[in-house]
Amino acid sequence: MKPRDAYAAFVIWVVLTALGEAFVLRANIYPLAGNEFARDVDDAFRLLMALAVPVFTFVVTVLVYSLLRFRRNGEPAEDGPPIHSHRGAVWGWFAVTSGLTLLVMVHPGFTGLLELRESRHQEMVVAVQAAQWSWNFTFPGRSELEKVKDLKLPTDTKIRFDVTSRDVVHSFWLPMYRMKIDAVPGRVNSVYVATEEAVSYGENVNVRVQCAELCGTGHPRMQVRVEVVERPEFDAWLAEQEAG
Amino acid sequence: MAATALIARTRDWAFGPILRGLLTGLVGFSLGAGFTAGVRALAGADAIAFGPVIFGGYWFGLAGWLLGVGVWRTWAREWLGMPVDWTMRNGWQRYFDFTTDHKVIGVQYLVTFLGMFFLAGLLAMLMRIEHLTGGQVLFSPSQYNYVMSLHGITMIFVAVAAVIGGFGNYAVPIMIGAADMAYPRLNALSYWLAAPVPVLLLATFFAGGFDAGWTSYPPLAVENRDGQILFNLAFITLGLSSIAGSINFIVTVTKLRARGLSFGRLPIFVWGVFAMSLLGFFFTQYVAAAMMMTLLDRLFGMVFFDAAGGGDPLLYQHIFWFYSHPAVYIMGIPGLALALEVITHFSRKPLFAYRWVVGGILAITALSAVVWAHHMFTAGLSDIELFFFVTTTELISIPTGLIFLGALGTIWGGRLWLRTPMLFALAVIFNFLIGGLTGIFLADVFTDIHLQDTFFVVAHFHYTIVGAGIFGLFAGIYYWFPKITGRSYSEFWAKLHFWWMFLGFNMTFLPMFWLGLNGMNRRVASYPSDLEALNVVASLGGFFLGAGFLVFLANIVVSWVRGPAASANPWRARTLEWHTSSPPPVENFESEPEVVGHPYDYGTPGAVHAMLAGAEEEGG
Repeated sequence: MKPRDAYAAFVIWVVLTALGEAFVLRANIYPLAGNEFARDVDDAFRLLMALAVPVFTFVVTVLVYSLLRFRRNGEPAEDGPPIHSHRGAVWGWFAVTSGLTLLVMVHPGFTGLLELRESRHQEMVVAVQAAQWSWNFTFPGRSELEKVKDLKLPTDTKIRFDVTSRDVVHSFWLPMYRMKIDAVPGRVNSVYVATEEAVSYGENVNVRVQCAELCGTGHPRMQVRVEVVERPEFDAWLAEQEAG
Repeated sequence: MAATALIARTRDWAFGPILRGLLTGLVGFSLGAGFTAGVRALAGADAIAFGPVIFGGYWFGLAGWLLGVGVWRTWAREWLGMPVDWTMRNGWQRYFDFTTDHKVIGVQYLVTFLGMFFLAGLLAMLMRIEHLTGGQVLFSPSQYNYVMSLHGITMIFVAVAAVIGGFGNYAVPIMIGAADMAYPRLNALSYWLAAPVPVLLLATFFAGGFDAGWTSYPPLAVENRDGQILFNLAFITLGLSSIAGSINFIVTVTKLRARGLSFGRLPIFVWGVFAMSLLGFFFTQYVAAAMMMTLLDRLFGMVFFDAAGGGDPLLYQHIFWFYSHPAVYIMGIPGLALALEVITHFSRKPLFAYRWVVGGILAITALSAVVWAHHMFTAGLSDIELFFFVTTTELISIPTGLIFLGALGTIWGGRLWLRTPMLFALAVIFNFLIGGLTGIFLADVFTDIHLQDTFFVVAHFHYTIVGAGIFGLFAGIYYWFPKITGRSYSEFWAKLHFWWMFLGFNMTFLPMFWLGLNGMNRRVASYPSDLEALNVVASLGGFFLGAGFLVFLANIVVSWVRGPAASANPWRARTLEWHTSSPPPVENFESEPEVVGHPYDYGTPGAVHAMLAGAEEEGG
């Protein structure tokens, strides 16, 4: 172990980190994002990856560099240096890991929670009742639509879903809006979703409601195909449901 | 009289104790079941309802089984002032007996839970066949849910018990210079309490299976098929075994350390087992309570978790995770501690920042009590709860980082001997790095809302529990194989197994992060066909991973039978278990060991960890 090992490892770490950052900042690994909230969640995901990259490359560099540089062919004839600790390294490590932890705790941790709180506005309230294995929706002033397989929602509308369950625990997940809340018997849990552009399940499978909590045999198929449409089309659809 | 004589003779049969246990267990079961049916008949209920009768019969059956298998001979006769004529058996028969030797118990745990590991692994193969396409391949959705649930709970039990039960029992007493555990009979009881658990899990098949996953949330777990009852009984039973084992480890490490072995000189693996025993002791009772309350709701009409009756389904989730989050450390930390142990000896360098690593393990132990609700971020918690649990959960990164500091600081500038245990130990660090970093995405509510209950979570916990716990288990198997068997394994086949398992593992679970992010929820028999490509990669990885264990099994069996003899200390390691013969004698040491220095003083000329009275001082 010589100073140049540390320099060499440092250079490798910097290179790997640069490559890693270039990858995670550009890679489009995300599903369709249907609104600003979803794009913010993806940004938070991307930020966490960007912060994880230097940590990942640091550990991998030290592991692999040591594996190649400090390995002995066969049983080592002598011991390594009797280094028990290193004040600077330990406190430096403690400071950096604590700093990173506090950083992600505040942002996107706390800031994300605040954004979640600020997203709680509604122009329309929809009651959602989960049951094995279907979803029932009640729009304002309308009677309940039962066992919905195809759902339409209006564009550019702030919707509050009041979610509950009539039997076991389910979970109401809208992947394209990055929103999810459990449907728990005896409780009403609310989530807020602001729709934006028109989009449909036919274009992307994540434009769906999916049950995300194991609820028995029909769990994977407990889905609703969603279509976000312009307001007149939505109103017409709703009236048609009522008539039918 | 002939019957009495016959029963007396069974003590000489190889499987006599098990046979007697089964017999008394059956008698106990019949009594309990009959009693329950009688009470029900008196109360005017359906007398032979499956659930209550099984429930009532089980506890008496379990008591009968324990009495018959050995508690009567070794314990109960003494309580009643009767003569005890009980000697430990030698030879292979002792592995099928109520044996108090901690080394025998360690091997019993290892073999039992490895068997369960392979069984649950086969179930995982079936699940990956099902996921080859988005539609239906092999199973109906209900069959898939059963296979998935059985895989989950079996692997959870393996992860909880294999390293602590196996190597905790085998290695910890020797590493602290003790002759045995503090309570040898309690130790035997712990194992024979665990033995019915796999039987119960397999028996679920005949009770219609169960489909609520290993988490078994009510109301589903109150309404599904009757296999669920056996699942809950199995969980409670393993819990009892865990609590008994935890008490034993806490007392053993506290009271039986060799002269000179202060806590500040404790090998890091012993620290890991000790800290996790504290968790097992304090928290296991909560999951047992959750399981019991579910049974009471289900079988006797109580309403703990029934909203319509004034109960609350979320109450279950709180109690369940109050144990089950600490439990993931019980599954992961012993593997990590074992990896640090191996890394130190195979780097021939002191464990870097030993005190900080110990502090890290203890800080994780303490923090684990206040993070449980991060498993419930989408359950409808209040904002205050969300802020609190984000804070505590993120904080765990700091002590976890200290474990990485210890590992990296030790290998840097060391003299690395890349034998198979070392490769597995380094893989633990790599896998747990991925598992830990992806945990941050789940600790943060903002990103977790989307990822909760998806394959992202599945990938994350396999990277932590398999990546650290199970890779640590295999590091331990290769590390202590010469000590346990007195023989050497084949290095070539062992290394082949390592690379096979490492590549197969990463190929299986890495794609699952992407799948979860892109809309694949977990615990599903079918999924949107857009996600097929990476599911096929994960499935092929899974089959590859599974096939690799044939290499392991062949190597272990052949080496155990006819591998070359191993010396007392083939690794030239410094801790106490390498100061005695391979395998060690009963009660471990020919003479009393005395500890005079730190276990990890590599590179200091003349430094000695321990000496045996009357023996030549060993430099290692």
